[in-house]
Amino acid sequence: MLPAECSRRLVAELRDALDSCAERQRQLEQSLRVSRRLLRAWEPAETPAPEPTPGPEINEETPSSACPPSPQDLKELELLTQALEKAVRVRKGLSKAGGVKARSPKSGSASSATRASAPPSTSRCAGSCALEAKPPRGVRHPWVPAKDLPGHRLLLVGDGPHMGQGARANKPEAGLRDQQIVPKAASQVPEAFTLKDKGALLRLPEAFRKAASRNARLWAQLSSMQTGDSVDAAAATAKTQFLQKMQTAAGQPSSMLSAAEVRRLQKACSLLRLRMREELMADPKDWTQEYRSLLTLEGLQALVGQCLHRLQEQQELRSVVVEQLQGPCPEGPPRAASPCGGDADPVWSPQLLLYSSTQELQTLAALRLRVAMLDQQVHLEKVLMAELLPLLSEQEPLGRPWLALCRAAHCLLCERGQRFLTVLRDEPADRLSPP
Amino acid sequence: MGRRRRRRPDPADAARALPEAIAALSRALPAAPSPETFRRAKFDRPEAAPALWRLLFRVLSPLPADGASASLALEAQARWVKSALRSQGYPRQALVQLPDEGFQGGRELLLALAWLLARGPLPERLLTQSRVRLGDEMPLCECEALASPGLPAPSVEAEGCVDIRHLQWLMGKLRLRWRNLMAGQQEQCALLGQIHAYTRGCHSDRSLGHLSVTETELLRDPEGGRQLLLQLETENARLEAALEWRRRELVFWQWMDTVLDACPPEASLPTFLPRIPKLGAGAAGLLVRELQALQEELRALQEELQEAVEARRAAWQAAVGGHGPEWRAARRALQTAVAQDLAALQRAWEQDEGRSRPHGPCRLVRTEARVPGGPGLWAAGVTEALRAREACLEAVLSQLQSQCRQELARLAGARPGLIWILPPAH
Repeated sequence: MLPAECSRRLVAELRDALDSCAERQRQLEQSLRVSRRLLRAWEPAETPAPEPTPGPEINEETPSSACPPSPQDLKELELLTQALEKAVRVRKGLSKAGGVKARSPKSGSASSATRASAPPSTSRCAGSCALEAKPPRGVRHPWVPAKDLPGHRLLLVGDGPHMGQGARANKPEAGLRDQQIVPKAASQVPEAFTLKDKGALLRLPEAFRKAASRNARLWAQLSSMQTGDSVDAAAATAKTQFLQKMQTAAGQPSSMLSAAEVRRLQKACSLLRLRMREELMADPKDWTQEYRSLLTLEGLQALVGQCLHRLQEQQELRSVVVEQLQGPCPEGPPRAASPCGGDADPVWSPQLLLYSSTQELQTLAALRLRVAMLDQQVHLEKVLMAELLPLLSEQEPLGRPWLALCRAAHCLLCERGQRFLTVLRDEPADRLSPP
Repeated sequence: MGRRRRRRPDPADAARALPEAIAALSRALPAAPSPETFRRAKFDRPEAAPALWRLLFRVLSPLPADGASASLALEAQARWVKSALRSQGYPRQALVQLPDEGFQGGRELLLALAWLLARGPLPERLLTQSRVRLGDEMPLCECEALASPGLPAPSVEAEGCVDIRHLQWLMGKLRLRWRNLMAGQQEQCALLGQIHAYTRGCHSDRSLGHLSVTETELLRDPEGGRQLLLQLETENARLEAALEWRRRELVFWQWMDTVLDACPPEASLPTFLPRIPKLGAGAAGLLVRELQALQEELRALQEELQEAVEARRAAWQAAVGGHGPEWRAARRALQTAVAQDLAALQRAWEQDEGRSRPHGPCRLVRTEARVPGGPGLWAAGVTEALRAREACLEAVLSQLQSQCRQELARLAGARPGLIWILPPAH
C-alpha cells in the first residue's frame, strides 16, 4: 500500500487524465450524433411560424422544413394529384394515339387546379422546400411542369422522362402510386431530403450570411488593432505605468519563474552542454584555434553562471516565503504545461486547414490525438517518477511488499503499464520460489 | 480613427469620455456590471463589491460550466478569486485581507480588475474563449484544452491509502479510453469528409467552398439556426464594444491612477509572495522538482567547464610568450567572433519558439485545389510538423523510461539474492 498523501496525489493525477479523456469523448460523441443525423434523411422540423415575406426568399430558406400539412392541404393535394394523374394518363394515351390536341384543355384544367391550390399552400408553407422548385445552377435533373408549384410532394407526380436521377425519391414510378402514398405520406415528408443528393443545392440564409461576414470583419479589425502599429502608444504607456505603480505600492519583488522560463533554461542547459562537448572534443591545430576554443569555453562558463544565478535568485525567494493564507489553496489555476507558452496571444480567428481527402484528414486527426496522448503520458511519467522512486529508495525491508511495489513500479514507469518483469529469489538451496 | 485624445483632454471632454469608456468596457466584458457600479467602487461603496467579485470570478475562471460555477456562493467565488489572483502574482495584499462575505472592498476589486486589464488583452481573450464557432475546427495544439479544465471539483474524494494495483488499473482504463477516442475520431473524420464533399459549392465565401457541420445543421434545424444567429449578433455587439473600448481606454487609465492614489498606502508587511507549495504537492511540486534537477545539471556543467577552462588557460599562459603585435589585432578579432557565436547560441533558447509550432484551432476546408488560393495551412505540412512532435515526445518518454530503468536497476542491485527477468524488449 502506498502512503496516504502519495496515494491521494497519484490518484488525483490519474483521475484528472481520465476526466480530460472523458470530456474529449463526450464532445466527440456529440459531434458524431450531429454528423450522423445530418447524413441521414432530414426529418421535417416543426416550423413555429411561417416566414413573413415568402416572395423573394423562397429560394433561400430551409430546404427541408415542411410544415405539417393541414387537412385542407391534404384535400387540395388529393384533388391536385388526381388531376395530374389524369393528365398523365391522358398524355400517355395521347402519345400512344399520337394526338396532341386533346392535351391542352386537360392540362389547362390541371394547371388551373394547381394554380388554385398554389396560393394557399404558399401562404402556409412559404419557407418550405420550394428549393426543389427553383433549380439553382449546377442542377442536373430537369424540372418540368412542376416547376412553378411550391411543395416538393408534387414532384412525385411526373412522367418517366421528367423524373430526375434514380437517386431521388428512390421510386421513379411513384407518380402512379401516389394516390395511395400521398395521403399517408402527406403526414410525413414523402420525399426526404438527403445531403448526399441535394447537398449542393443548399444556401445559407441571408441574415446569417450578413451576421457571419460582419463577425469576420470585426475580428479582423480587432486583431489588426492589437498587433498593428495603430496600437495607442499613450494607452500602452499608461498601462505600464499603472502596473509599476501597483507593484511599487505593494513592495513585492519580481515574480517567480514561469513554466516558460523554466523550459527556456532547460533548453539553454542542453544547448550549452552540447556546445561544450563539441569544444572539448575538437582538436585545435594552431594557436588561433586554441585561443578561440579557450574563449568559447570561458564564454560558456559565463552563460552557465548567468542561468544558475537566475535559478538561485528563485531559491532565495522561496526560503523567505511567508504563509499568508488561511485555508487550503484550491487547485484552481490551470496546469502550466502548455507547450505553446501560457501567455500566448489569443488566436483571433481560426486559420484554414486545407485537406484534400478523407484519408488525409483521418491521418491528421489520428496524429493530433496521438500527440496529445503522448503529452499526457510524459506528464504522468514524470509524476509517477517523482512519487514512486523516492518511495522505493526509502523503504528498507526486503519483504514481499517491497518487491511487489518494485515490480509494479517497473511496469508503470518503464513499460507504460503494459508488461511486467519477473523477480526470482535466488536461494542457495535448489528450489527457486518466485515471490 | 479621428479622435484627438493623444494629448491631455480638457475637463469637459473627460466628463463625457470616461462614462463612455466604462460603458464600452461593460459591454465588452461578459456579465459586467453597469458603469454606475464602477463609479461606486471608486468610493468604496459596499453595494459595488458583490458585482465586482462576480465579474472577477467570471473573468478569471475558465469557461464556466453552465450553472455549476454560477451557483457557487459569493463567498466561495471570492475565495477562488483570491487564490487565482495570488497565483498570477497579484501584488496587493489588501485584496487578500478582504472578508470573504464579499460586501467590502469595492476599490480594491476595481484595482484588481484594472491590473488584469493592464496585463494583457483581457476582453479580447475572453471573446476568443467564447467565440461562436462557425466552422469545423480542429485544434492543432492543446492550449485551449489545457486552459479550460473544469472548475476545481469542490470536494475531491479524500481517499486513504491505495494499492499500487489500483493505479495500474487506472492506467489501463486510461489506455482503453484513448483507444476508443481514436476510433471514434476516425469515424467523425469520415463523416466530416462526406458532409464537406456533399455541400461543395454552397458557401457564399469562395475560399471556403463548402458548408461546415454547424452551417448545415442550421439549415436542417431552423430553430437552432435562429439561436446561432442570436449568438452571432451578441458576439458582434461585444466585438464592437471591445473596439470602442480600445479607442477610448486612455481616459480610463488616467482615472485609475486617481483611484490608486485614493487608496491608503499599504503597510509594509514582510514580503507577500505567491504561495509556495510544499515539495510534492501536485503540479507546482513537479515544477519545483524540475527546477532542482535543472539546478543540479547546471552545477555539474559549471564544474566541468571550470576544469576545462583552468586547464586550457594554464596551457595557454605557458605557451603564449613570443607573439608579436599582430597577435593583439588577431586576438581582438577572435574575441568578437566568439562573442557573436555565443550571442547566437543564446538567442537559440531565448527566442520565442511558439512560431515554429502550429498553434491554435484551424477551420477544416476540403479542397481539390493544388495551389493555395489564399492564406491557409496545408494538411500535409501540418502532418509533418505533428510527426516531428510525436517523435520528439516519444524520445522524451523513452529517455525518462530508461532513467527509471537505471534507477530501479540500481535499487535492485543493492539487494542481493534476487534475479530480475525483464520483459522482452519489442
